Amino acid sequence: MTLTSWARLVLVLLAGLVLQVAVVDQVTVLGAHADLMVLLAAAAGLVAGPERGGLVGFVVGLVADLVVTTPYGLSSLTFVLIGFGFGLLHRAPSSREGRTAQVAACVAAGAAGTVLFAFLGALVGQSGMLGRTAVDAVVVVTLGAVVLAWPALWAIRWSLGSAERAAAGYGVPSGGSATL
Amino acid sequence: MRRTSQRVTLLILVLASITVLTLDYHGAANRGLTRVRNGVLDGLAPVQRVIADVLHPVGDAVAGAVHYGALQRQNEVLQNQVGSLRRQVAADNVASQQARQLLQLQALPFVGNTPQVDATVLSGPTSDFAYTLEIDKGTAAGVGVGEPVVGAGGFVGTVVAAGRSTAQVRLLQDNLTDIGVRLGAAGTATGVVTGQGRDSSLGLQILAGAARVHRGEWAFTSGTSAAGASAYPAGIPVATVTAVHRSPGGFNDSFTLEPLVNPASLQYVAVLQWLPPA
Repeated sequence: MTLTSWARLVLVLLAGLVLQVAVVDQVTVLGAHADLMVLLAAAAGLVAGPERGGLVGFVVGLVADLVVTTPYGLSSLTFVLIGFGFGLLHRAPSSREGRTAQVAACVAAGAAGTVLFAFLGALVGQSGMLGRTAVDAVVVVTLGAVVLAWPALWAIRWSLGSAERAAAGYGVPSGGSATL
Repeated sequence: MRRTSQRVTLLILVLASITVLTLDYHGAANRGLTRVRNGVLDGLAPVQRVIADVLHPVGDAVAGAVHYGALQRQNEVLQNQVGSLRRQVAADNVASQQARQLLQLQALPFVGNTPQVDATVLSGPTSDFAYTLEIDKGTAAGVGVGEPVVGAGGFVGTVVAAGRSTAQVRLLQDNLTDIGVRLGAAGTATGVVTGQGRDSSLGLQILAGAARVHRGEWAFTSGTSAAGASAYPAGIPVATVTAVHRSPGGFNDSFTLEPLVNPASLQYVAVLQWLPPA
């Protein structure tokens, strides 16, 4: 990743954090709210492949954990797995269908990330993370992702896109990482 | 080769995450992380204040749309009271509601002589899995970790993190909350109220006097720390018993309680500057 990509990524993460805390968190349905941060991690994987997806997921998780009271590092672990896992679906989209598939995958990542977060939370001893709370959260995060996936992908493309173009040429499938 | 590199990267990142997670459970590192977290929340507070002011009407509209059915039933009941409340309704705007909440906080009957810090609610839960809210007062105003937070109706939660100008309050409904309470005639039954997440009902583990607990009774903080429950000053209303399920022989009675304060409608709270006796 180039210095420009890192600088843009920092900007995107800060803007994402402010948006999450000040706007997204304020709109609650069934007691839950959407999650922009998990979408940024998934988008990084979808746009730049599993390795950079995992790395960006780690950083996004560290930032996201600054404003919640759940154990520090839980989001990082979740987002690393989501960024890497959804990065395995990475292809440089050369068509409108490709972009649509990325948005759909990003929405699915919202649901998967929420389930994984609840499961890992329960695993490290956070009581009550599984069950009704998790079901409500999955529903709301998935619905929210329908709205937020495209902006998240756009922001990540803006920040990581230049590195992608430099590495593989924009619009050309990036070889080994397009394994699924 | 490429796949091996990917796996090594994944392994390193997972191990790094687990290391961070482990550090959070370590005393000294946890204190450092808490300071950083509080600093970030303090930094975000001004932005939150501005956006919260703008979004309160939007949030109310969304909540109204989502809870339309319940609001309609509630509305039918309220219709019967409209006549006597009409003059009051005329003055019913956001400003008067806020003033009313503040005035109620100044005369909480269950606070006694305990000093209190009035605070504005900045935002609701920042995680879908931790039921907390953020208030606009922190250590600079005398707010400290462990102090109980009350609203006009009763118990709201406990301060779990305090920055200089903001604090995080773990709500009564959070899964990690447990409070020693007294119920029944003359408070002769004791138990521990536990949060059950976003589901607004609360659990009650009875320690003594289950037969003396009936539907409609209130639970008050007991002021003790029996069964490992957190200690709070005695006499704060916590919840009301909404369902009692008796078991044969009374050995396994179960109870459902509803909190007296709805955190969704809270704009102001009071932090009681009270800590459990050492």
